Amino acid sequence: MKYITRVKLKNFKRFTEIQVPLQEKLNIIIGENESGKSTILSAISLVLGGNRGQIEKIGYERLLNHGVVSAFLESERRYEDLPKAYVELWFNDFGEHELDGRNNSEGVDGHGLKMEFCPNDEFGPTIRQILQGAERNFPFEFYQVRFYTFQGDAYSGYKKYVRHIVIDTSQIGNDYAVREYVGDMYDTYAEPLEKVVHQNEYRKLKEGFGLNVMKDLNERAEKYSFALKSDSKSNIRTDLTLIEESIGIENKGKGRQCFIKTEFALKRAEGVRQKIDVALIEEPENHLSHLNMKRLVGMIAAADDKQLIIATHSNMISSRLDLRNTIYMHSADRNPILLTDLPDDTAEFFIKAPYHGILDYVLSKKVILVEGDSEYILMAKFYEMVKGHSMDTDQVHVFSVGGTSFKRYLDVANLLGIKTAVVRDNDTDYQRNCVELYEDYNADHIKVFSDQDNGRSTFEKCLYQDNEAVCTEWFAAGRKTLTVQEYMLKNKAESALEILRRMQDGFAVPQYIREAIEWISG
Amino acid sequence: MDKRLILSVAGSGKTRYIIDYTDEERRFLILTYTINNVANIRSRVAAKYGCIPKNIEIYSYFSFLYSFCFKPFLLNAVGAKGIDFKGMAHFKAVGDARYFDRFRRIYSYRLAKVLEVNGVIDAVKARIEKYFDAVLIDEVQDFGGNDFAFLERIVACTVDLVLVGDFFQHTYDTSRDGNVNKNLHADLAGYLARFEAAGVIVDPDTLGNSYRCSKSVCAFIRETMGVAIDTHRDDETRIEYVDRDDGIRELLGSGATIKLFYENGKTYPLNSKNWGDSKGEDHHQDVCVVLNKNTDKFYREGRLAELPPRTKNKLYVAITRTRNDLYLVPESKVRKLLAG
Repeated sequence: MKYITRVKLKNFKRFTEIQVPLQEKLNIIIGENESGKSTILSAISLVLGGNRGQIEKIGYERLLNHGVVSAFLESERRYEDLPKAYVELWFNDFGEHELDGRNNSEGVDGHGLKMEFCPNDEFGPTIRQILQGAERNFPFEFYQVRFYTFQGDAYSGYKKYVRHIVIDTSQIGNDYAVREYVGDMYDTYAEPLEKVVHQNEYRKLKEGFGLNVMKDLNERAEKYSFALKSDSKSNIRTDLTLIEESIGIENKGKGRQCFIKTEFALKRAEGVRQKIDVALIEEPENHLSHLNMKRLVGMIAAADDKQLIIATHSNMISSRLDLRNTIYMHSADRNPILLTDLPDDTAEFFIKAPYHGILDYVLSKKVILVEGDSEYILMAKFYEMVKGHSMDTDQVHVFSVGGTSFKRYLDVANLLGIKTAVVRDNDTDYQRNCVELYEDYNADHIKVFSDQDNGRSTFEKCLYQDNEAVCTEWFAAGRKTLTVQEYMLKNKAESALEILRRMQDGFAVPQYIREAIEWISG
Repeated sequence: MDKRLILSVAGSGKTRYIIDYTDEERRFLILTYTINNVANIRSRVAAKYGCIPKNIEIYSYFSFLYSFCFKPFLLNAVGAKGIDFKGMAHFKAVGDARYFDRFRRIYSYRLAKVLEVNGVIDAVKARIEKYFDAVLIDEVQDFGGNDFAFLERIVACTVDLVLVGDFFQHTYDTSRDGNVNKNLHADLAGYLARFEAAGVIVDPDTLGNSYRCSKSVCAFIRETMGVAIDTHRDDETRIEYVDRDDGIRELLGSGATIKLFYENGKTYPLNSKNWGDSKGEDHHQDVCVVLNKNTDKFYREGRLAELPPRTKNKLYVAITRTRNDLYLVPESKVRKLLAG
């Protein structure tokens, strides 16, 4: 296996400096919008591609970090201070000495490739002139890209040290992306010699078409003749497509396209000649139904002969494929957090547990965890009553754990530093259920809230006892055998909805919930 | 570990030996000095395997030093813009100017020294050990100065090391740098002792017989020049000292016979070159060696063995180019004929 062990970025797009460690097989990058998930994927792809044209097409203005550029313009604007940017890919040692050397940012032995953006010294005098001008003008046009191995040799895309493929579902329907994809897949299946033969035969076929099929037409045209183009814009690569059940991939529905692309790239096939080492997959969940998502997750889990780097917003992908493979990108310019250290049983829990919003939880900063539906239904209202504004204002989120598996979430909170208030019933034993059980989680950002009176063992009992008059008013009518409190306990969700509907001033929020709200908002 | 210096007489199948030594299992590094030799070895390897197999890497010596040894460890740290093959540092130069020209190219004769002063020799050794199982070095007799010192360090690598060369074909030094290994090539015994001291076994037999030169030519060399060379052949060929005008005219007019001159060979008409430049060539049938004034004198006095080493070695190279007949011609006569 050839794989990337880490990616280092400096002054590249939104990052001033960041390092992302990667695992041999599966890597799932999660993060808020704009946290830089796609930047990581595109950085990897650009380095592996080694294509100067591609860089120039994007433009240095979009590749260099804006902050660094502005800071430079604010400074004395000295030539030698012009910012440089780079992306380094560090690989495992697979015995290729051309990759091996100390020409990297750390000056230590390693295997890797580096893409560097720096001012082109040949234009030194011109650049200096621009910098001395009155106008604050950044010399993007005078930047150049250099691709080199850690051994110190320049390389280009023709030299495939590590073969990769990009599957970007946001580009589905884009002709260029389809062509690139089909071309990449053609490269993985075809032998180099085979490709030359195809190219040659295809050209001859086109020539033949002009000479034979269009013969009569061309005789009429006399001096001129019609023919099929055969050049860099129309050749076998540009005309290739992928057919499934006699329909070309570009004519399939978006969901199907996504699915085919991923499946074809991931599957282990006998016919493959040049194995793909790294697959970069951007939001594979796009356009997929729940059913297809499940199949996709299965495919990804089975693809163990290549390194997968997946950026996703999907709860299902991140948890079903084992949270320990997750790389969490902060929105801030900081190194990401790896969930590798999550305890085994917790990771296992999220793989197996029914639907949960674990990814949403991971992406939150402040969270109130509750046991069930009724607390969930009322918590937002309580928050407003206590704080005078909504939870969204404070970026606080509520998650229903659906039971008492709080610890699973707290393991995640521990790794990520998510401020978490656990709101739970004492189930008649406050000391055991709400104190001793959580002794290992005494972190500053984790706190358990519950009523300390063992008689007030559940949420409903507390609600009822704190608001006996209104509860009786709302629920007593029609009760024959059950007391109001018994009714509320037997119909938790319905009574919570009813309370929410009829909520009025003076309704008392149980003290422990009030404390939880005050703590989490602080 | 195989550590051998194989003394190979001219035309003894040195390149063939190197090619035969390779296989498709182990990882080989083949170093040779000239670009021509690299091309030659490359095509011979390709002929054996149908392509250049991934396990065999062929470098010219300096590109090996620069790309495989210098760059990985020092390109970023020290910086360089290639190699300067011609220039030399001023003898009073200090600092970087001792190693780099004004374009920051490294002086080739000090490239090995740069590795040493930057303390990466051990790292280089580890790198060789990591990526190769066997190292084959061709034309090893031309290693001199800093390069010989480097070679002595490399010998200690835990790889098989096969050095092939002919002491008497030493016509050139890869590195000449003041007193560094200045007297290395002064005499054969002392030269071989250096290898033995480094733990290299000297093997004079494996490539001690020539395929190219006939019994007569080898006997002539042994007897007149005192150089040990034997042959696999048992045929006799003609060896003639030609000083008659018509004889010389005939040789000069023959496009098929190469004329080898002590110097300025290229200025003479029709198939001429210098003794030293013919090194490595294997395609000549009859050869005409033109003797410069001094050599001619030594020859006529029967004292070729006493020629200065460098001249003697070049003459040896020139004489051993022949597969058939050998003609010796005094240069003074050639000049006179061409002038008249």
